[in-house]
Amino acid sequence: MRLELENVSMVYQSGTPFSARALEDVSLTVEPGERLAVAGPVGSGKSTLLAILAGVETPTSGRVIHGTREISRRQTPPPGSIGLAFQSPENCLFEKTVYSDVSFAPRRQGLDGQEVRRRVENSLAAVGTDPASIGQRSPFSLSIGEQRRVALAGVLAMEPRALLLDEPTAYLDPAARRELIMQLVELNEQTGVTMVMVGHDMDELARFAGRLVIIDGGRKVAEGRAESILTDSALLAGHSLDPPGTVELCSLLSAATGDQVAPALSEEQAIETLMQIMEGKC
Amino acid sequence: MQISNMVVGQFYPGTSILHRVDPRTKIIAACAFVIVLFMVNGFEGLAVMGAGLAAVIALAGIPLSWLWRGLKPVLFLLVITFAFQLFLSGGEELWRLGPVTVYRAGLVQGAFLTARLLLLVLSGSILTFSTPPVLLTDALGRLMEPLAKLKIPAYELALMMTIALRFIPTLVMEVDRIIKAQKARGAVTSGGGLLVRARGIMPVLVPLFVMSFRHADELALAMESRCWRGGRGRTIRRKLAFSNKDAVFATVVLAVLAASLWMGRFR
Repeated sequence: MRLELENVSMVYQSGTPFSARALEDVSLTVEPGERLAVAGPVGSGKSTLLAILAGVETPTSGRVIHGTREISRRQTPPPGSIGLAFQSPENCLFEKTVYSDVSFAPRRQGLDGQEVRRRVENSLAAVGTDPASIGQRSPFSLSIGEQRRVALAGVLAMEPRALLLDEPTAYLDPAARRELIMQLVELNEQTGVTMVMVGHDMDELARFAGRLVIIDGGRKVAEGRAESILTDSALLAGHSLDPPGTVELCSLLSAATGDQVAPALSEEQAIETLMQIMEGKC
Repeated sequence: MQISNMVVGQFYPGTSILHRVDPRTKIIAACAFVIVLFMVNGFEGLAVMGAGLAAVIALAGIPLSWLWRGLKPVLFLLVITFAFQLFLSGGEELWRLGPVTVYRAGLVQGAFLTARLLLLVLSGSILTFSTPPVLLTDALGRLMEPLAKLKIPAYELALMMTIALRFIPTLVMEVDRIIKAQKARGAVTSGGGLLVRARGIMPVLVPLFVMSFRHADELALAMESRCWRGGRGRTIRRKLAFSNKDAVFATVVLAVLAASLWMGRFR
């Protein structure tokens, strides 16, 4: 599903001394089936942007469009069309068992028992957990990493047409981070679900995103293919962001060898570049 | 409803003399005002008190729109009070409309009680409008200090109030988040019958409780790790001190209260 923001501005508590501007005149189009990353320093307005994109927060001005439908306070998105996971979604677990928590949304959607079961099992499997072994456990008895997966499964179980994720890997250990990103990419490639992810770890976004938007001070400051934005170290540094490790490695190599080394976005690319340099040396 | 738009305590930042008067003076003044409010009979006394309060509001530079926000929740109570007095008293009939009869005594009594209630709410509001919550609890703690001699843990009580106040915005924000997240999963949190709503509250309540307990645990650990051991022998960084401003403010308040007492009771 295509998601669009047109000249969206957001002011919290406007008209009071506590008024705070979170977004200013942001326009953005998320194409159906793409993986878009929204990056920016802490407090730049990324989370607000995601909430507005999902239709759970209404902007002070501007338009939000899901597919062909304009979203407003009255006209909320149809239930189940948008999957939204805020930061630390495991904080929203509440049922007695993992199975009943993940099945909450499909049950609310009024699906029959068989379909509910299929969706729960599929979505638990999609986030790399085993439905048979944890289905009947209390979600609160799981580790934070497992809780995170279960909470995300609870969102996936709606089979939304767009999945919006706010720092889905925060507070996870490095291995779990890498694995979760891989699973998300796989899910997008298999089902074609539109994905928007907010984050500030550029290594992670490099593995995830096809396209990237940078938000700073509530304004959209850059937008483009992930390759071109993630390799632009000067642009990233200007917004308190670090380039991915592989890009940094290549710029160090450039400085050391005196040759222009093309920036690499993945470990594979970086290894290839290193091999070429070593061959040239021998 | 957008919960995040709620202003807790409704403090209105400013630099007026009222904002700079010691919070203890303000608390005592507000208490005295309320006591006198219930001693005064007749509209003359109330008029003097109302004029005094209006002067204080003007002095504090609090806009009427802010005042209105504070009054909105009690508006219903004011209307009910007035209506009850209007219709449910006896005496001289003023006019009759179908089954409803309005009595003169009721009109007078209703207007008087409503005005008294309004002044009561406003005087409390002015205190919270012009005093940051943390200063308010500091002042309450200091005022309760003599109670420590009666083995009442005054300092701990004040600290509990401060912590509670400190966590209201945090919890409000978290509730807002949880509601939005659960709504996105199809939970019903508003509208619908009583049963639907009662069921809809569980997906919000359980996470909120879990999180609150976690906050409490973490806070207790953090306090212990910084050697917090209760109030005994503790010094205070933010020292409250009475100044000339307090003397002036107290004198003015006393004068207004004396005038209204004289007008409304002893004349």
